[in-house]
Amino acid sequence: MAEPSTASVRSFDDEALPHLDALYRVALRLTGEAAQAEDLVQDTMLKAYRSWRQYRPGTNAKGWLLTILRNTFINSYRRRKLEPVAMDLELIEPHALYRAVESADPEGSFFGRLVDEKVLEAVDALPPDFREVLVLSDMEGMRYAEIAEALQVPVGTVKSRLFRARRLLQAQLYSYAVEMGYIKSREDTDG
Amino acid sequence: MAEPIDCAEAGARLQDYLKRELTPELAAEVRDHLVRCRGCFGHAQFEENLLHLMEARARRETCPSALRERIRGLLRAEADRT
Ligand SMILES: [Zn+2]
Repeated sequence: MAEPSTASVRSFDDEALPHLDALYRVALRLTGEAAQAEDLVQDTMLKAYRSWRQYRPGTNAKGWLLTILRNTFINSYRRRKLEPVAMDLELIEPHALYRAVESADPEGSFFGRLVDEKVLEAVDALPPDFREVLVLSDMEGMRYAEIAEALQVPVGTVKSRLFRARRLLQAQLYSYAVEMGYIKSREDTDG
Repeated sequence: MAEPIDCAEAGARLQDYLKRELTPELAAEVRDHLVRCRGCFGHAQFEENLLHLMEARARRETCPSALRERIRGLLRAEADRT
């Protein structure tokens, strides 16, 4: 049976290792903790190395690696301890955050005050299917088609999950901003 | 010439526009609308700011160097084994 040769080890180093940062970041968001993320990245790289001959050189190595990472995660990792609270999308008004920020904060200081740690918390609180798409798209800059391939779902599903993910994320940031007094809640301003 | 698109249509295309996933023709229609419409322009800017914030936060996280070294070692061992 043919194993990866010395030449392919070199090409694995060149093509796969540059994506370690991206793999680690996605692993962190999927598992929710550093130790599991490290194990997941390590398992992913070993699996990828062993099946390196299936990778066609010059194609999308990042997408290929992320597919392996995701499958490994689904098959062998415990689901994160804190499952996000289910949220009813119908109750979330689209663009509520933008509207509130627009009227309460015309100078746009909202983004200056919004600690990015809070954004991360909001991302981590998303339901897994939505979080995954948002992380790959908005945090890793992958295209719809690449995400669709990695997740084995139609492009339309990627788009709709991203749309819903954004809406949920903004709803959380909205509550946070109201709580912190950065913006007034709509009930207050309407009353 | 196609009719200019309205706010609802611009809003429906906004996500794909910001992700640069629209055809040049569809993107141009959105751009034309954003130039003319303050409300949609503000909304687009808001969404873009949030995107930048998420991206910037993500980039701060990098693979720990100990993990990187461990993986390199495992790969070398794996190569020697075969
Ligand atoms: Zn408009």
